[in-house]
Amino acid sequence: VFILTFLFCLRVSASSYSQNIRVTMDVKNMGLKKTLSMLEKKSNVRVLYSEENLPDAVQVTMDVKDMALPDVLKEILKNTELKSQILDNGLVVIVPKGTEVKDLRVRGRVIDDKGSPLPGVSVRVEGTQFGTTTDANGNYQLTVQNGAKLTFSFLGYANQTITVGNQDQTINVTLKETQGGKQLNEIVVVGYGTQSKRAVTGSIASVKYDNFKDRSNSNVTQSLAGQLPGVSITQAQGAPGSLPIIKIRGTSSITAGTNPLYVVDGLPLENFNLNYINPQDIESVDVLKDASSTAIYGSRGANGVVIVTTKLGKVGQTNVNATVEYGVQDVTRRVKMMDAQQYIQYYVDAHNNAWVASGPGRLATDPNSVRTSAYKIPDDFTTNPGQFGAGTDWQSVMFRSAPLQNAQLSVSGGTEKTQFMFSGGFLNQTAVLDANYYKRLSLRSNIKHKISDHFTIGSNLAFTGIFDRTDGTAGKSDVVSLGLQSDPFLPVYTETGSLGFRDPASVWYRFLPYSDIIEWHPYSLTRQIDEKNKSFNTLATGYLEYKIIDGLKARTSINANLYNNTFNSYANAGQAYGYSAVLPAQGVVRNAYSLNWLSENTLTYDKTFGKHTLNVLLGYTAQHQRDEASNLTSNNFPNDLVHTLNAGTVSSGSSTASEWSMVSFLGRVNYNYMNRYFLSAAVRRDGSSRFGPNSKWGYFPSASAGWLISDEDFMKDQQFVSNLKLRASYGLAGNNQIPNYGPVSLLGASNYVSGGTLASGLNVVNLPNDGLRWEKTAQFNLGVDIGLLQNRINLTAEFYNSVTKDLLLNVPVPDITGFSTLLTNIGKVRNRGFEFSLSSRNLVGDFKWTTDFNLSLNRNKVLQLGPGNAPLLFTDFVVQVKTEVGQPVSNFYGYVFDGVYKNQAQIDATPHVAGTTPGEPIVRDVNGDGKIDAKDQTTIGNAQAKFGSAITNTFSFKGFDLGIMVQGSFGGQITNQLTRYLGIWNGGRNAYADVANYWRSESNPGDGIHFKPSINPTAMEQAFSTYWVESATWVRLKNIRLGYTLPQTWVKHTPAKGIRVYVNAENVHLWSKYKNFDPENTTYPATTPSTSGNPSGAFYGVDYGSYPVPRIITFGAKVDF
Amino acid sequence: NANNFYKTKADFEVAINSAYATLYTIYAPEEAASYGELRSDDATIGSVAGAQADKWAIRDYTVSASNTLIYQYWQEYYKSMFTINNILDQIQTAGLDPAYTARVQGEMMFLRGLYYYNMVQLWGGIPLVTKVVSADEAYKIMRSSEADTYKQIVADLKFAVANLPLANAVPAVGRASKGAAETVLGKVYLSLGDKTSATTVLMDVYNSNQYGLLTSYASLWGATVKNTKESVFEIQYLGGSASNPYSPYWTAFAPVTNGVITKYGGGINQVTDDLYNEYESGDPRRDASIELGYNDAKGNFVAIKFPKKWEDRTAPSSGTQELSNNNFMVLRYADVLLLLTEATGDPQYMNQVRGRAGVPAYGTAGYPSAKYGTLALALEHERRVELALEFHRWFDLKRTGRLVTVLSAKGKAINQNNQFFPIPQYVITQNSAITQNNGYN
Repeated sequence: VFILTFLFCLRVSASSYSQNIRVTMDVKNMGLKKTLSMLEKKSNVRVLYSEENLPDAVQVTMDVKDMALPDVLKEILKNTELKSQILDNGLVVIVPKGTEVKDLRVRGRVIDDKGSPLPGVSVRVEGTQFGTTTDANGNYQLTVQNGAKLTFSFLGYANQTITVGNQDQTINVTLKETQGGKQLNEIVVVGYGTQSKRAVTGSIASVKYDNFKDRSNSNVTQSLAGQLPGVSITQAQGAPGSLPIIKIRGTSSITAGTNPLYVVDGLPLENFNLNYINPQDIESVDVLKDASSTAIYGSRGANGVVIVTTKLGKVGQTNVNATVEYGVQDVTRRVKMMDAQQYIQYYVDAHNNAWVASGPGRLATDPNSVRTSAYKIPDDFTTNPGQFGAGTDWQSVMFRSAPLQNAQLSVSGGTEKTQFMFSGGFLNQTAVLDANYYKRLSLRSNIKHKISDHFTIGSNLAFTGIFDRTDGTAGKSDVVSLGLQSDPFLPVYTETGSLGFRDPASVWYRFLPYSDIIEWHPYSLTRQIDEKNKSFNTLATGYLEYKIIDGLKARTSINANLYNNTFNSYANAGQAYGYSAVLPAQGVVRNAYSLNWLSENTLTYDKTFGKHTLNVLLGYTAQHQRDEASNLTSNNFPNDLVHTLNAGTVSSGSSTASEWSMVSFLGRVNYNYMNRYFLSAAVRRDGSSRFGPNSKWGYFPSASAGWLISDEDFMKDQQFVSNLKLRASYGLAGNNQIPNYGPVSLLGASNYVSGGTLASGLNVVNLPNDGLRWEKTAQFNLGVDIGLLQNRINLTAEFYNSVTKDLLLNVPVPDITGFSTLLTNIGKVRNRGFEFSLSSRNLVGDFKWTTDFNLSLNRNKVLQLGPGNAPLLFTDFVVQVKTEVGQPVSNFYGYVFDGVYKNQAQIDATPHVAGTTPGEPIVRDVNGDGKIDAKDQTTIGNAQAKFGSAITNTFSFKGFDLGIMVQGSFGGQITNQLTRYLGIWNGGRNAYADVANYWRSESNPGDGIHFKPSINPTAMEQAFSTYWVESATWVRLKNIRLGYTLPQTWVKHTPAKGIRVYVNAENVHLWSKYKNFDPENTTYPATTPSTSGNPSGAFYGVDYGSYPVPRIITFGAKVDF
Repeated sequence: NANNFYKTKADFEVAINSAYATLYTIYAPEEAASYGELRSDDATIGSVAGAQADKWAIRDYTVSASNTLIYQYWQEYYKSMFTINNILDQIQTAGLDPAYTARVQGEMMFLRGLYYYNMVQLWGGIPLVTKVVSADEAYKIMRSSEADTYKQIVADLKFAVANLPLANAVPAVGRASKGAAETVLGKVYLSLGDKTSATTVLMDVYNSNQYGLLTSYASLWGATVKNTKESVFEIQYLGGSASNPYSPYWTAFAPVTNGVITKYGGGINQVTDDLYNEYESGDPRRDASIELGYNDAKGNFVAIKFPKKWEDRTAPSSGTQELSNNNFMVLRYADVLLLLTEATGDPQYMNQVRGRAGVPAYGTAGYPSAKYGTLALALEHERRVELALEFHRWFDLKRTGRLVTVLSAKGKAINQNNQFFPIPQYVITQNSAITQNNGYN
């Protein structure tokens, strides 16, 4: 706009002015182009020409003094077929003789291929520096000469060149997006700033809103699974709102937390729940993977950093967007369990086998009257098992087809001075598990205002309220696991309407004496317990930017995250007899509060000196968090009418509080030469309250370099490689997810009773460690980006090698110290890996087809452990994981079963446990010493996959677009901890359907895998073995989305500007041999730092009954006004 | 945190409470002491839901070094030792008045002597830790011989005897007294075969005028019966609230999934017919000690024998736990009397116990001398019925050297090696210089 106005102003007087310019020039054998260029400098007049018209051979030799411009031009052009013309606006045009040059007015509108106007498109006269840009509505106008060629260019879109005709005219242009070009010029958010992708020297994966806009996940990271090489995003539990486990580039820690750091609009938050950010508000998610990118986050960067940036309106017209979605969720993959008939036979055989084995002369045919109580079998099972039919499928009882609704409204826009975005969203999700639900209200206001040329202020304010009830995710003793364990012959309701056989009024009460009849009725946990969880999260950012001088900017911000949670539960007295015990009523209230605030102050200097560009960042930040939690329990409720605690008597309560704080200094220099050679160096210094008094402060340096080879001259002449860039980086980052008070010797309550009243007691509960500090990860990253055939094909390959040392370990110490472990920084783990991604535009044109493929592999190896490299062995309900030097972290460690003994001869011929009988498992003599004992335990698997991969194909035609994503994980194992209940006889619980193929006799040996059932399984049968470990290789049709953007010809008859309808299907199909719901299920969160006992991260890939990941199909419509 | 604690007497009183609180773990119903009962002929396990091999292995003498419960006991004993030793270390440098310091040291050494005595019976010679030790120091502490372990125990208890007040002068009910220390010391002497020294200390208890038998055996038991004159050392519980240290015995000893008398039964130490039949006819102690079963929700009687002594049927409950109020007597005067007979060979003390039960005195006409022909056998019988299910049986048989004889006669697959638990495999893995007990390699 500015240039255009300028040109018009010049118009009237300029021509005569130029005519009168006088020039002095002396040239010898100079090329035409060079001569004209010299003339421009001497005369201060612009000369326009088409380079192709200038004959190369012509050399000018002349010596003129104080000559009028038109004459000088004649002199220069005398040996050519060219003439010059001075235009009204004073410009000089050089054209072939016989061509009439005139000024034309050209105007028009530039839109993208979706019909949206494109503001800021550069419109240039080819071969010149003249041109303009489009305004907020995509309009432009320009005065040019006939025959000029206009080039329309815009970042991320293919250039278009149009030749102007012979009269004033309107030229409307539709620009087409390009993949490669877009990528290179895309803005990537890095720590404390942004960079163009061209300048990125570290390893950063960036995902924009368009990549997840139609996805129905409540947490944006769920939608990113499979899209980011090197970033493993696992939906460990399928409950709405449950957090995926994110691991960036392998497992670098055993005891400390492994969650990445989340940075939401500049606020770094550990273990943040991204459900509090509405995905529709997110502009981009940038994942910093390598240590050079994350080192700017210092002691918190080692697990990678996920930067979430929310939207802000764009200058120009106001956009109103409304989205409505309706969906339905189903558990499509069920666990195959025994039905009532199979179960009854299993029950009878388990009792008879045990009875026969319990003493000499005992027979399977012995009646109950001669058996001791544990061996008795209900008469119904022996006389009339048929009465139970197939029984109850408890999965059908607990799971249901569940609807979800989602409504969003956002308004965004802005002027040069002020930009804003307001949004509101409401998600109402019924869960597939009975009585469960998830409702989220999110409101956001982002505003940025330019007060003056020097000052800009802004604020982002987001409020999220979540109301939910989520059961079934705690594993072992939660609804999903218990429901599977319930015996199938029991009815959903007894004839009295109660839920279980413990109802004395029911005929089913006859089963009570059999203590191994198991029932955990799902309804006794979902409907007989009233539960409400309410969480409120407010995230606020306010900032002030001050431009001190050109290029130098100061920024100060205050950020805060305030979280409150209240959980209420009330269990009805007796729970309608559906639970394994008739429990009294109980009410529980839990409260949690957390306030995290951050003060951040930075100074940035951005300047280009000729071919040198410099960007310097200096910063100081201070952050603090306080967490509080309390709980109260009431008992002795008179009835179930009032569920608040005051109706009963409070029987217990407690409250806890903890704090941490951190002060940091940071600095970074980015430098590039000719936008082709890039260098970056950064350092951060962190001081944290979590670290020991002898190690309060840490430095985290990094450096990286990049070389854009394709911009070199020697690459100019070839067409094949359009982009080639090499990147290398090295950095040091830390992991501070260690306990808040690890270095301190803490006192814990241990009360006694004195004189009939409670007497407070305190004792020391941990060994202190003054030198406790963060874990350090040093990572080297090498990357190459390649664009081929005008960026039709883009490849990125990266290799990294990262070594984490000072690993935070609860190092085992002799128990005679009074403690089993001491939290120490010791040990080393290496992760090295390779990431590859490919993006190919297979078909362009009306029918477009794009393929995105990625593959990542990581190899994890423990290099060093505690004193003497003693292996770490953790046991959780039989399952053992062992971490030892030379092996990946957390190998599953147990016995190897080689099938089932068919007969006594086979037992006699092999090493076996004393007393083994036919039908019991063959345990491999791993160490070959001829006996079976604890020394025969060995590595029997690991949850870490050999590699993971995903492929997305996107098609579009006219208004239709279709995306199909297939994801896979290969070569890992999963421990099915439910084997303890469902694979082995365990107190009468139901079992997997395939367990029914158990050994019955020598002539009927079953499938050779499942041993003979007994109510007294042998120690070896109950031990952790290959019987529990399954392949976790899977392939998943993860996502299909089909959208249709209504053509403008239809839309223009409506008040809307654009309408799009779509169908999105998540988790469409899973190919896996895994017995339970999903091989991605992990019961134990990988996040919590642990002071003692089992670090939960060590049990990654152990499934103790997890919530299935449902298939979700949503129908949506998005309307822009 | 610990740096600003352990300064004043008030601090130490709070710290001492935590030392006494270790009794809750050591004498918990699913702990080593209780499993001694399980290993004897008195008790078995009810059909435990989610039956774990480790529990059955203890009952059946098939434990291996990798048994997780054994390792748990080991950890818990040494965890308690840390608490005790830490107080001993701290009070030495606290500069409080000497009388107070001596009494606190006496109390701590009483607990340490008691625990090491339990441990030497469970494992034989053990690594002796008598101060707070670092990890590095710990690697250098090997198992002491059984004799040296006893030396430490005797030294601790002697110090306690010398520095603890009589029962009527303890700072609070439940705290260790001179009599308590003497009783344990007497038992230790008997274990060492030193009847003379045992007689001396036990007679001191006998003549202290601090203790006596209650008139009726049944009145010893109940949720509100606490700290009677028969009690020598008693663990203090407080029921009624989940945040109190409530008594765990009733829930744990009730039959599994009875769902009527308790919300959830532990099924530990279910009574054998063998114990039930041990009682002489008309001995009221049988029915005061053993329940024959319970009525289910329909009122039908379910026959299963389980311990009665710690019943608290009116206890409120929280979750699956009854918040019972019953205390647990580690030592009581009847035990002292029976030990005195053991030490002196004089049946008069035992006969006081029999007299209270209303059964004929040893040596009189009505006594079943055909069955219990010697005083030793009579004592064995008397201790079994008088102290039934109070965690004594296994240790009594072991002290008198009768373990294998008595139990194998009842068809149990026990051998000499089973008198000790294995040293947990994990302990040896960690420090391979620690030796294993016989039969567990």
